[in-house]
Amino acid sequence: METADLTHHISRRFNEDLERVRNKVLAMGGFVEQQLQKAVNALIEGDSALGESVAMDDFRVNNMEVAIDEECSRILATRAPAAGDLRLIVAVIKTITDLERIGDETEKIGYIASRLATMEPPADKYREIKHLGRLVAEMVHSALDAFARMDADAALQVARQDRAVDEEYESIQRQTITFMLEDPRSIRRALDVMWVVRSLERIGDHAKNIGEYVIYMVHGKDVRHTSLDDVERELRERRAAEGALPAART
Amino acid sequence: MPPVLEAAWFIALRLIGAFVLGLLLGWPFGSPVAGVAVVLAVALAWHLFNLFRVDWWARHRSLADPPDLGGAWGDVITQIIRLHRRKRFHKQRFIQLLRQIERSTAALPDGVVVLNPEHEIVWFNRMAAQMLGLRRPADMGLRIDNLVRQPALGHYLTAGDYANPVVIRHARNEAVFLSMQLVPYGEGQRMLLVRDVSRQMRLEAMRKDFVANASHELRSPLTVICGYLETLSQDPALDAELAGPIAEMRRQAGRMTTIVRDLLELSRLEMSDEEVRGEPIDVAGLLATLRKDALARPEHPRDVRVETTGDAALVGNPTEIHSAFFNLLDNAVKYTPADGRVVMRWWVDEEGGHFMVSDTGIGIEPEHIPRLTERFYRVDEGRSRSRGGSGLGLAIVKHVLQRHGAELAIASSPGRGSEFVCHFPPRRIVRLTAGAALV
Repeated sequence: METADLTHHISRRFNEDLERVRNKVLAMGGFVEQQLQKAVNALIEGDSALGESVAMDDFRVNNMEVAIDEECSRILATRAPAAGDLRLIVAVIKTITDLERIGDETEKIGYIASRLATMEPPADKYREIKHLGRLVAEMVHSALDAFARMDADAALQVARQDRAVDEEYESIQRQTITFMLEDPRSIRRALDVMWVVRSLERIGDHAKNIGEYVIYMVHGKDVRHTSLDDVERELRERRAAEGALPAART
Repeated sequence: MPPVLEAAWFIALRLIGAFVLGLLLGWPFGSPVAGVAVVLAVALAWHLFNLFRVDWWARHRSLADPPDLGGAWGDVITQIIRLHRRKRFHKQRFIQLLRQIERSTAALPDGVVVLNPEHEIVWFNRMAAQMLGLRRPADMGLRIDNLVRQPALGHYLTAGDYANPVVIRHARNEAVFLSMQLVPYGEGQRMLLVRDVSRQMRLEAMRKDFVANASHELRSPLTVICGYLETLSQDPALDAELAGPIAEMRRQAGRMTTIVRDLLELSRLEMSDEEVRGEPIDVAGLLATLRKDALARPEHPRDVRVETTGDAALVGNPTEIHSAFFNLLDNAVKYTPADGRVVMRWWVDEEGGHFMVSDTGIGIEPEHIPRLTERFYRVDEGRSRSRGGSGLGLAIVKHVLQRHGAELAIASSPGRGSEFVCHFPPRRIVRLTAGAALV
């Protein structure tokens, strides 16, 4: 009886550690989401102060990554987790790297936004970027929701949305080239716009990665280099075999 | 009849009956005892069998048809059925009550999320699900700040001060603002109230824009008026009778200009609630400059002095800090008689940096002190108007201090003087090192 109580006590502390790490990752995600929102707004509204403040706040994202990394190392060293818990820690370590990269991209967008604020906005007033920005913000939000809920289906949806982002990217690229040809004076601004669009597309890729880590965390299946359809088929087969999605929290 | 007596009668009757039957049956065969034994055994077997049937029925199929038994066993069965019916009746009533509660909470225009002490979701109503994107039952047991990830909410939950709500922007729809307030109740339970305040925020933004635009528009006409009035006042050919009115007009136009200028400054300060980053400011130098300006005025107290200790610098926006300190000094100078004294003091301790303006002026009655920083609030209309000023000085000071994470403390005794102190937090203070650039 006593041994069982002890293990229960130990695993509760352990669960608290894991929960705390998950919570920190999601707090970092929330901050990164806010940075993205501010950076895109700074661009669209021509608010150079906002753009600068986004760029200057990026150090916080880096600090969070370092802190969570240390926490994970400590847990790996002292608890030697196995199975689902180990997958969680591994997924966390990978997720925070992608979140930190998203932070870097928003820093770039912030800088460019504060520079673009001094220039004339184009005819469409960055409508395309607004749309792309919203798509990408959706992806990041969904990926983090999937992480919070341990929802592999939602994570799969994020991977799908990446296709829409890639298409949008192509379309903006074509349009920007047209602008550049029409009016060579707008080339400087157009180049900056392309950098922003590139950053947004990268953020979309990072969000997709986070989705893949969630699938790995829940199912133990590494889907990083598998095609979308194969992943879907595999998940369906798994679900049929298991009967229901297993709860990843044990 | 009391139950024990009833039971005794019940048992006695049946035992006597069994005995008699046994005797009658055994008599012809010559052993009445055997007959009694057989009858008792059969009766026992019969009752045990019924016991088993009733038990099995109660355990497995108690909603279906009960065994058809008479006598005592039949009574037991009837009682069991009655208990079941009563239980089902109560359950239905309970379910109905729950449904009613659910309907009323679904009709609430505000969102409610019940959290446990670890901020995990225990329950939420439909409005909360809609506003925050929560799902039932998947999200039960998850921490609320894992799903509603705005940093402001995270800080709010850990800060522990739930006197005021926190306003966050919706994650997916930027036009939506949500006000969230945590209400502790019961034993460690917490209720998170979520309200859509988008409309209020929009109105507030419109108001601020209006004030800023209006002030801006007023500036040019005022400049023109002031310009002409100045020209007129310096015209030697001007009618002597008009000199007085023109001087008064100049004073009033000057006052309007001050008000417009301060309104513009206030609306600029209001635009952002976040703290300024700032740079190191040489407070001692700033105070020396302010003192010189004060002594250059046509009317000022005889004694204006500066006392600074240490060489720590304040990290902030130089323009805003200058404006705030200027306004405090301006008030002190205006309301202190010519033989009075105004002291500006700056010192640093472990609680941060402190700037105090103390005067031996006319003082302020205690009932006015809480409202001093309101816009256009005047303690005494006549007195203030004659000394000029816009009525916005302290409002500006309040906003500047807010943007620097600082607080204003006011103490005064009527007829003796006042003390206005600005307390800056330690993070705003930096020790000067040799060669550090100062503003």
